[in-house]
Amino acid sequence: MGKRSLVLFFAALSSVLLATSAVQAQENAPDYAQALEKLRLYSPEDPSARKYLGLKDKDAQFFINQIDAELLLIEIFSMYCPHCQKHAPEANRLFEIITGRKDLKDRLKLIGIGVGNSPFEVKIFREKYSVAFPLLDDRDSAATNALSGVLTPHYVVLRLHKGGKIDVLYSDAGGFDDAEEFLKMVLSL
Amino acid sequence: MKRVRNQRLLSVILCVAGIILLASEAPCISKAFDEKIFDAGDLKPIDSTLKVKVGDPVPDFTLRAVSGGTVTLSEYRGTKNVVISFVPAAWTPVCSDQWPGYNIVQDLFDAYSAVLIGISVDNIPTLFAWTQAMGDLWFPVLSDFWPHGKVAQTLGVLRSDGTSERAIFIVDKQGIIRYIDVHDINKRPPLEGIIEALEKVQD
Repeated sequence: MGKRSLVLFFAALSSVLLATSAVQAQENAPDYAQALEKLRLYSPEDPSARKYLGLKDKDAQFFINQIDAELLLIEIFSMYCPHCQKHAPEANRLFEIITGRKDLKDRLKLIGIGVGNSPFEVKIFREKYSVAFPLLDDRDSAATNALSGVLTPHYVVLRLHKGGKIDVLYSDAGGFDDAEEFLKMVLSL
Repeated sequence: MKRVRNQRLLSVILCVAGIILLASEAPCISKAFDEKIFDAGDLKPIDSTLKVKVGDPVPDFTLRAVSGGTVTLSEYRGTKNVVISFVPAAWTPVCSDQWPGYNIVQDLFDAYSAVLIGISVDNIPTLFAWTQAMGDLWFPVLSDFWPHGKVAQTLGVLRSDGTSERAIFIVDKQGIIRYIDVHDINKRPPLEGIIEALEKVQD
């Protein structure tokens, strides 16, 4: 087997395995599709975060499918979750990679939902870990109720359709060790 | 020819190793408490009657700490405000998601010249295993196991099933109770409740 064919073989193998693991993730964890479609969140206070999401008024309630993106990555986290705390730097790195890529920055967006967290608690998490992507609070426990039993951190990848429909492409508990690899997996969905 | 055969063999080995490695790479699941949590279901929100009130001198106590030795509340008299956080039981859902949050805000407690003490009626070995899963905690965790729940009983936060309430007490530097929140056991008290209370103690 030539060097080139070996590289091609492993590239193909990796893609198949990454896609398979994504499908497994979907099969093993609740996809929260209906819950996320119905979930109403509060728009962030920070004007740049609102601009990023394509939202106008602060503290106004909105549905996830109102976010201006084709693909939406959601990290369901909690200020109280030790694994979310440890994972924060890698999540920040993912955001840096996405916003650094011209082909992705308007197409794929990243938000965090602080399940069970008040605006104060979300602010603490944002400041402690210098999180640059929008973190949304759960002041009325809507996310807690909708995502009952979720293990944090939990990542969801959604395709947002113009008519308001949402497709869940990926949903699984746990963070990731390598933002580049995770992004590759997301883009292979 | 031999070299080609060796390369083929190597590629097969690499391929098998790759499949094993990637196939065993299950999605990262939060290992802190995953599958180790006992869900007690929805409980009676409050199941005890307070025996102290805001303005009372706090009854002193000495309890064993998970990190070794003992902690006596009056040791902080004259130097620190003390936030006492009772949680009902180790390895239960809400409790497991409470102290790790306090663990990232030591600076807020410092700003109000306050220390935090975590108390549970669990025994030391159980508390040791549970708090290990939380990472390194900056505050002492004390066991009110024996005589069972004596401190919780003294304050009036021992429930009829032997667990304690999910309660916060704030004691000022003079040893006076300045804040009590016996919270619905099924819910986590928001952090801002503690911080706002500390602001008032500071005033």
